[in-house]
Amino acid sequence: MSAVELNDVVKRYGALEVVHSVNLNVEQGEFVVLVGPSGCGKSTTLRMVAGLEEISGGTVSIGGRLVNRVAPKDRDVAMVFQNYALYPHLNVAENIAFGLRVRREKKDFIDAAVKEAAAILDLTPYLARKPADLSGGQRQRVAMGRAIVRKPQVFLFDEPLSNLDAKLRTQMRAEIKRLHKRMGVTSIYVTHDQIEAMTLADRIVVMNGGRVEQVGTPMELFLKPANAFVASFLGSPPMNLLRATVVSMDGEPKARIDAAGAETAILRLPKTSGTSLRADQRILVGLRPEHVAVGMDASADVQEIAATVDLLEPLGSEALLHTRISGQPIVAKIETPADVETLLQIGRLQIPVGRLHVFDAESGRAVNGHA
Amino acid sequence: MATIIVGYFKRLGEDLRRDWQLYLLMLPMLLWFLLFLYKPMEGLQIAFKDFSPFRGIAGSPWVGLENFRTLLDDQIFIRAFLNTITISGLGLVFAFPLPIVLAIMFNELQSELGRRFSQTIVYLPHFISVVIVAGIVINLLSPTTGVVNLILSSLALDRVYFLTQPEWFRTVFIGSNIWKEAGFESIVYLAAIAGISPTLYESARVDGASRWQMMWRITLPCILPTIIIMLIIRIGNLVEVGFEYIILLYQPATYRTADVVSTYVYRTGLQGTQYDLATAAGLFNAVIAFALVFAANRISRKVSTTSLW
Repeated sequence: MSAVELNDVVKRYGALEVVHSVNLNVEQGEFVVLVGPSGCGKSTTLRMVAGLEEISGGTVSIGGRLVNRVAPKDRDVAMVFQNYALYPHLNVAENIAFGLRVRREKKDFIDAAVKEAAAILDLTPYLARKPADLSGGQRQRVAMGRAIVRKPQVFLFDEPLSNLDAKLRTQMRAEIKRLHKRMGVTSIYVTHDQIEAMTLADRIVVMNGGRVEQVGTPMELFLKPANAFVASFLGSPPMNLLRATVVSMDGEPKARIDAAGAETAILRLPKTSGTSLRADQRILVGLRPEHVAVGMDASADVQEIAATVDLLEPLGSEALLHTRISGQPIVAKIETPADVETLLQIGRLQIPVGRLHVFDAESGRAVNGHA
Repeated sequence: MATIIVGYFKRLGEDLRRDWQLYLLMLPMLLWFLLFLYKPMEGLQIAFKDFSPFRGIAGSPWVGLENFRTLLDDQIFIRAFLNTITISGLGLVFAFPLPIVLAIMFNELQSELGRRFSQTIVYLPHFISVVIVAGIVINLLSPTTGVVNLILSSLALDRVYFLTQPEWFRTVFIGSNIWKEAGFESIVYLAAIAGISPTLYESARVDGASRWQMMWRITLPCILPTIIIMLIIRIGNLVEVGFEYIILLYQPATYRTADVVSTYVYRTGLQGTQYDLATAAGLFNAVIAFALVFAANRISRKVSTTSLW
């Protein structure tokens, strides 16, 4: 039995449909991350699970129980909000205890639960402080304390780390992962940050325009994106997508890169894509920046292609090389050589054919995964 | 010490040179304050003089605290002062909490239309002139044609001469004031409620709080700083009761409970031309008001960390 099950869930505001028929099964103890750009419907979907938004269509079940018409308090879920939602007039202990107090639990039980949560989250020294006297990370831990103290069936996280700086976000990410490992509670986590999604999730749900684009493990999504949107959304920097037209399908499929006012180039495509392609089909050829090589010998598996360098961004051990192939931008993520400036002189990039992804330009759907 | 003062003026000079446009914008307000609030304070010296309009302020002889002594020996002034405190105190008890209750009730209304309608209804009386409100009250409570007395007589009860009986004055005054101002005063609290993050309520809903619990545990504590500020301001006005409305409603028969310091000042100063005594009464009031605000602010800062300054 799934811990949380969404069947054809729809959300409408008047005539405007913002979430279209979302289906999702979250298994017991699983950590599922809903990820997508702003306005894609991920928070709305989470809020429907929490009961904070009415469900316009479809069903939501928690622990096998249909909860469409069940009040948030009776769904046995706890939620952590982006802005922490801490009560400014209550101290840390009172904030953590809030959910238990309103449920009229016994004082001894509340005290013990608060102590335990505070110990787990390293909040014991701060129990008497007000939220205003805490750092962002501490506030977020209090918000999590308030959730875990209730021992719910499901944790819901609505972009809980968005208000933190980059360093704290990395720390808190690890803490959330540790917490999930320790407690094993089913969790649904919403974020627009694909790194958070990749690092935290057992499974990722990529959403766009109110629809689920793909569901899978982080590596499945990274290696076999179902469409150009997923391909370009996951990965940093995102996957390069070159507009091209299929010129040959037999034996070794090839495509001509659409030249934006520059000399065109022919690109060999993975053999596995040949059967699914048709002549003159408009496609998007995807290549992850970390798979683009510089200074490698051309071979049957690696093709060399002329490129002009626009910009070099050294990141330390790695560098981002912004180049153009047939006038179209392509970013390469490569190991920084001793003399980084030499990268500006390169005139050719090496592209491993097997690493290429092919998407139909019109529908965006993958024509093949890489070999 | 001298270095500190020199340093201060040096910094001020630098600020003036750098931000002269901002200081220029501030100038009209500063002038207004000086001309209309500080300059008239010059007249306060009348309270310490045997003032005669013919001799002028400068020509009138100083009498020290004589006017204050006269005032404190005057039973009518003492009565007026006690009436002021009583009316304000009753207002504080009954009229102060009502706008808070109203604001919370508006906030709890689910229907947007219902909320707008009821808000308009309770805001409206504020925009009616006190003269008209007094007229309405006099008509409503008229012993012969007033609705209240018609109802009383239809219930076979005795007619009541509300506005001529001292024991009814405060009820009528405070009641009609509440009707006139409670709705409008609720705007401040509604604004404070609007400033509470909706996620606090959402989080509480998920945690299992009922609407009643949310009101007590979230809404009220979150607007407490606003309530305290409004309370301090109200305490500062404890010795001030608007005299227009009193003058419109009271009559010699109700002086016992209706005469307040401002009406006393009006009668003594303007009608009785005892300007020195009236000024002393006004100054006495102002000093007490200042002391009350100061004390309330100090207490509030200690108890709740919220204060006006």
